[in-house]
Formats: sequence, structure tokens, C-alpha cells
Amino acid sequence: MTEHRDVATGPPDEYVEAEIHRLLTEDPAVAEQGITVARKERGLVLSGEVESPHRREEILRRVAERFPDVRITSDIGVIRAQAPTEIEQLP
Amino acid sequence: MVIRIAAVGDVHLDEDVVGRFRPALEELPDCADALLLAGDLTRHGTEAEARCVAQEFGGLGVPVVTVLGNHDHQCDQVPQVVKVLEDAGITVLEGTGVVLECAGGRLGIAGVKGFGGGFAGRCASDFGEPEMKAFVRTTTDSSDALAAALRSLDCDVLVALTHYSPVPDTLAGEPLEIYPFLGCYQLGQAIDSAPTALALHGHAHHGTERGTTPGGVRVRNVAHPVIKQAYSVFHLGDHLEPGEVSRIAASGTR
Repeated sequence: MTEHRDVATGPPDEYVEAEIHRLLTEDPAVAEQGITVARKERGLVLSGEVESPHRREEILRRVAERFPDVRITSDIGVIRAQAPTEIEQLP
Repeated sequence: MVIRIAAVGDVHLDEDVVGRFRPALEELPDCADALLLAGDLTRHGTEAEARCVAQEFGGLGVPVVTVLGNHDHQCDQVPQVVKVLEDAGITVLEGTGVVLECAGGRLGIAGVKGFGGGFAGRCASDFGEPEMKAFVRTTTDSSDALAAALRSLDCDVLVALTHYSPVPDTLAGEPLEIYPFLGCYQLGQAIDSAPTALALHGHAHHGTERGTTPGGVRVRNVAHPVIKQAYSVFHLGDHLEPGEVSRIAASGTR
């Protein structure tokens, strides 16, 4: 007999991870392909870099809205956009 | 003589980013002959986002040449996006090329968006379901167009510009499982079919900067999350002594 997972415990973490990953790309408010979702002992960690603080906040807002019961930690940075200080010479 | 190329990809512009790159871009006339953009200029490929790109990257005082990326196709507004960019003086390449007259010589740039497919021995094949065959034919058509564009240019220094990667080297850091969605070996084959001096691409946000095609052409991943600066600058020419190159490399130049 097949044992079914208790629905109260929610979907397995791996499916949540996959769903979040797809949400980050497919949600028009996010559209990020460069965010990594990693399962850690104390919840899911989002990492990567985005182009503005607004986008970082939007990612966390959308993920929290969609998965209110999942503990999410953010380690998302904003990419620096300063002029380069060095060049690469290619003879 | 030296040709100076500035390059960046994956800037994903929208209103919230306008102005972030501009201070660094204003310095370009002093340090580069041209700016090359390796696709994913926008988040969703809308006309409104293209206007943000035009505002940020237009009127820079150096020629700007770009290819589009997968994000720039998301909303199926490619013709409108291209028009906005071209109206701002930005040259958009797709299976085409351009030759720029620079102080150091004629710079030829051939570009395509490119496509996925994977790399030698671990790639999709033109076999089976129609969907799979259509996928692989998109890969080969794009690569063939790049090869033709590269070979059509009469110039002193030839550069290939793509969004997808032509080699696995510059994907190091990405999960191996997604390599087939990040590039294809056929783009490398196209680059090696011409006297290409440098190949620039984006798309792989977690990749690394440097690689080489099987034929020995230098490849650089200039995705913004990889280079972590507004753009990278490359000097191409036969002016350097090998010792000078290694000294510069040893000092941490990337």
C-alpha cells in the first residue's frame, strides 16, 4: 500500500525549491534567472545578485507571499556598477 | 596600434536601474573605441524597457553595438525593441556584422543571440520529436548565421558577440545540469571558422570570466554579475610584449 504524505506537513522541500526557482523566473514582477535556492537545515536560502535594491525586496515579497509557511533567508546582493579600474590587454 | 573594446551583458534595465551605469558610461570616450553589449538589456523585452536602455546607453560618444538576449524576447516585442535601440543610435546585430573605423584600425563585430544545445559529447541532437529537432535547428541556424557574418567582414580585428556561450569554460560555477541551456559548441565552431580575435558573451550569471575555444580564440563572459563593474575594457593589438602581458595579469587584471 502506498503511504501518502500528511498534507498538513506541506509539499516536500525539493518541490518547494523547484517552485520557488520557477517563480523567480516566470513571475513578471521578478524575472530573475540568476537566483540560487539552496535548502539548508533552517530553511531555504536565496542567493545571487540583482540590479537594484527594489528587485531584491520584490523577490522576498513575492516568495513570502506565495510560500508563507516556508522559512526564507536572503543573501541577495546588488551588483556594483562602478567604472573599471583595470583593463585586460590581449596581444 | 590598439583597439579598445568595452563590454558588458545582462544589465536587465528597467526604470529602477536607469542612471546606475551612466556615471561610468560617461568615461567611455576616454577609455574605449566602442561599447559592446552582450544581450539581456531588459528584464522582459518590452518597448518601455528598451527606452530605458536607450536612455542609459544612448548618446555616449562611442559607438554602441549589441545583440539581444533571451530576456529581450520574453514579451514578443523584438521589432519594437530593436527600433527603439536603433533610434538611439545603437547597432543591433542578429546574424549580421558591422565594421567600425577606430584610431587603432578597423574593428569588425559579428553578432547573434545564439541559443542553447550543450557542448561536445553532451549536447542535444537533431533527432526524435519535432520539438527537439526544432530546438537543435535553432542552435545550428544561429551558429551558421554567426559563421557567415564573421567571414563576411573585412577588418583588422574581428570580434564575435553573442548572448549564449560558445564554450563551457566560462560557465564554470553554474550547475552542470543547465549547461545545455547556457550555450552550445556550434557557436564556438562558428567563431573558430573565422580569424576571430575575441569572443564576448553573457547569459551565465554564475559563470567565470575567461575561456578559450577549441581553436584557441579567447572567450570572455561579460555578464554584469560576473564582471561586477559597469563594463570591462579589453585592449586588442600586437603591441604588447609577452612579459608585459604576464606582468599585468599577475597584478590582478581580470
